[in-house]
Amino acid sequence: MDRISAHFHRQWPGFTLEVELELPGRGVTAIFGQSGSGKTTLLRCIAGLERAEGGRLNFKGEVWQDERTFLPVHQRPLGYVFQEASLFPHLTVLGNLRYGLTRAKTAPTVSLDQAVELLGIGHLLARKPEYLSGGERQRVGIARALAVSPRLLLMDEPLAALDLARKQEILPYLERLHDELALPVLYVTHSPDEVARLADHLVVMENGRVLGHGPLAETLSRLDLPLQIGQERETVLVGTVGERDATWHLARVDFPGGSIWTRDRAIPLGQRVRVRVPSGGVSLCLTRPEDTSILNILPGQVEEIAEDGHPGLTLVRVRLGESAVLARVTKRSLAALALTPGQPVWVQIKSAAVME
Amino acid sequence: MPLSDGDLQALWLTIRLASMVTLILLLVGTPIAWWLARSRWRWKGVVGAVVALPLVLPPSVLGFYLLLAMGPRGPLGQLTRTLGIGPLPFTFWGLVLASVFYSLPFMVQPLQNAFEAIGERFLEVAATLRAAPLDAFFTVALPLARPGFLTAAILTFAHTVGEFGVVLMIGGNIPGVSRVASVQIYDHVEAMEYSEAHRMAAVMLIFSFLVLLALYTRRPEARKG
Amino acid sequence: MKLLKLLVLAGALLLATTAHAEKITIAAASDLKFALDEIVSGFKASQPGSEIEVIYGSSGKFQTQIQQGAPFDLFFSADIAYPRELAKLGLAASEVKPYAVGRIVLWSNSLDASKMTLASLSAPEIGKIAIANPLHAPYGKRAEEALRAAGMWDKVQEKLVLGENIANTAQFVQTGNAQVGIIALSLALNPELAKSGGYFLIPESLHSPLEQGYIITKLGGAKPLAHQFADYLGAKPAQDIMKKYGFVLPGGK
Repeated sequence: MDRISAHFHRQWPGFTLEVELELPGRGVTAIFGQSGSGKTTLLRCIAGLERAEGGRLNFKGEVWQDERTFLPVHQRPLGYVFQEASLFPHLTVLGNLRYGLTRAKTAPTVSLDQAVELLGIGHLLARKPEYLSGGERQRVGIARALAVSPRLLLMDEPLAALDLARKQEILPYLERLHDELALPVLYVTHSPDEVARLADHLVVMENGRVLGHGPLAETLSRLDLPLQIGQERETVLVGTVGERDATWHLARVDFPGGSIWTRDRAIPLGQRVRVRVPSGGVSLCLTRPEDTSILNILPGQVEEIAEDGHPGLTLVRVRLGESAVLARVTKRSLAALALTPGQPVWVQIKSAAVME
Repeated sequence: MPLSDGDLQALWLTIRLASMVTLILLLVGTPIAWWLARSRWRWKGVVGAVVALPLVLPPSVLGFYLLLAMGPRGPLGQLTRTLGIGPLPFTFWGLVLASVFYSLPFMVQPLQNAFEAIGERFLEVAATLRAAPLDAFFTVALPLARPGFLTAAILTFAHTVGEFGVVLMIGGNIPGVSRVASVQIYDHVEAMEYSEAHRMAAVMLIFSFLVLLALYTRRPEARKG
Repeated sequence: MKLLKLLVLAGALLLATTAHAEKITIAAASDLKFALDEIVSGFKASQPGSEIEVIYGSSGKFQTQIQQGAPFDLFFSADIAYPRELAKLGLAASEVKPYAVGRIVLWSNSLDASKMTLASLSAPEIGKIAIANPLHAPYGKRAEEALRAAGMWDKVQEKLVLGENIANTAQFVQTGNAQVGIIALSLALNPELAKSGGYFLIPESLHSPLEQGYIITKLGGAKPLAHQFADYLGAKPAQDIMKKYGFVLPGGK
């Protein structure tokens, strides 16, 4: 049994948590929602920091909680990264990192050196937390959670308390974490940016309930979930670098359902990449367009149509083989093209709008 | 020697008493303070109020009730008799016990405040780093509460040094056993031996001032660490 | 601002109520408590409207306080030496009048003191003997003298516990922590102690006499009420009360 199953039903004054989830036992699962959606509470229940009476939690066949048992936090082989690093002020960075080391009884999966290197904090080891910047503190917090060789890593909005520059600084470290460690991660966030960059699996919560969950690309393209924050929806295509064009400085990403050209980011051939496709960068044609500046033109099929906030706009989910993208289309165009579910269309994806 | 042998004996006795009481209260008061800081029991306020009682009870009243309790007809007195220990009034250890009651809030309250100030987060972090609750207490809570311990110990020590009413009630003014400095000074004044009284008072004043000075000049460091 | 005004008003009211007509304050030795309380209520009954406040405490302390200007109008001292000292310093408005000769007793509420003598104090069942501090309490000084005179001082040294005043001393015995105590006869006669224990009157020959006397202080000299009270003390009702509590002058009982 390689999954994590969580069942929690608990009432607090003014809030109820009702969750029944089966999550993959590997990769990054993002738990996404607005503040008050219960995502942090869910994480804390999984950690055992909140005691939800009658809850059930099974980690890859190990019972961490059920009607009769409740494994206390310190006996669960997990690592937890809090929103504010909460480094022990009376210990140096190294002291903080070592704290869990001497106590962890699990077989070391992550060595201290590995954690230090992964987070780039080697030069900070002798310092006391009060002399670190916010970004540095958070990196130490992450390394500290890794140092106990957890079998499950829980991260509670680790970037929320940082400014944009710090976030951009740490995200690459998190991406490395994801790529280099085979560690299941539950990542709570309200940032679609982080979801798009890090998640393999997505859980969407609202008011203490799970509205939907599934693999990232599929879930992101669902029209029935409150995934829009800010200007526009986006979807993610996960593929590999198939070709690099030196003349035009472009790279071709192959994904299940087609290929698209993006800016060459010097990513080696064969490497897995994520391509974020904002819905505003996708347009639809009934006939294959010619003489257009848009590089990527793919055959697809309309799957579902929904409103997109403004009364003049709609979101159309288009199937591209095994993948799907969302296109933002005005109602007028929708009517003019008479788009309906099942209809074949040509999908134009502006490569200039695609990010790494 | 500006101070007589009797005076020196009283001062030495006072230091021994205050040190013993502070040590005992560090051991006894810490778990009480920890419990008060962390418990969510509905009646914890009752415990807190009981601990704070010696603050408002006039010392001689406290001393009188302890005298009754430790006497042959009182519960403590009967307990010590059954245990084969002699009666406690008029003994050094009887004084220690009484002072432990009298100075209890001076140890517990600063400690409780220090523990509360630490908050939940650090202890949660410790738990996620595999520390069992007792372990977390010793390796996280205690170090972070260190300034509180210093304050509590010094306040307890100073408070016991100044104790008078309680000692009066159950001490019996026995030289070397219960004739503490405060009683010695009082006797000097009562007997109109003013210059002796002045000398002892001066010594105690200087000593207390130095101790408090140490507390207040260390503070900024302690706060940073 | 409103609170401040309220506080000032309250303060003014308090002051106003404390300033009133005929009132005297008496400083009296602790052992006189029951006797003097009764005498004062008798006086008030015979002269309604008079305000008399009695403060009980240690005679030595009162002397010092009066020297420093404390507002006592009469001073009853357990040791006549104190008011004599004040008279010498010109702080008395009357002659020093003796009112009793203090006597000390052995008292116990667990043993039968009436069958005891000072010699019995060395008995093993007597673990602790309470006396007032000889350093500054008149009764304590006499207790030490008596013990020495009876040859018992060295023998009972280890058993002694000292009370700061006579009441404190009695408490040690009352609570059972000292098996016996040497206290003032007047204390042993007060109802609270009389009902729970008996006493042995220690022979006067064993200690120097504890002459007790009173004066009207210089401050009290200006108050007619103080003189009236002093006169009342010589009257029969007051004298009877004093006798009842063991305050007698030689030739009086």
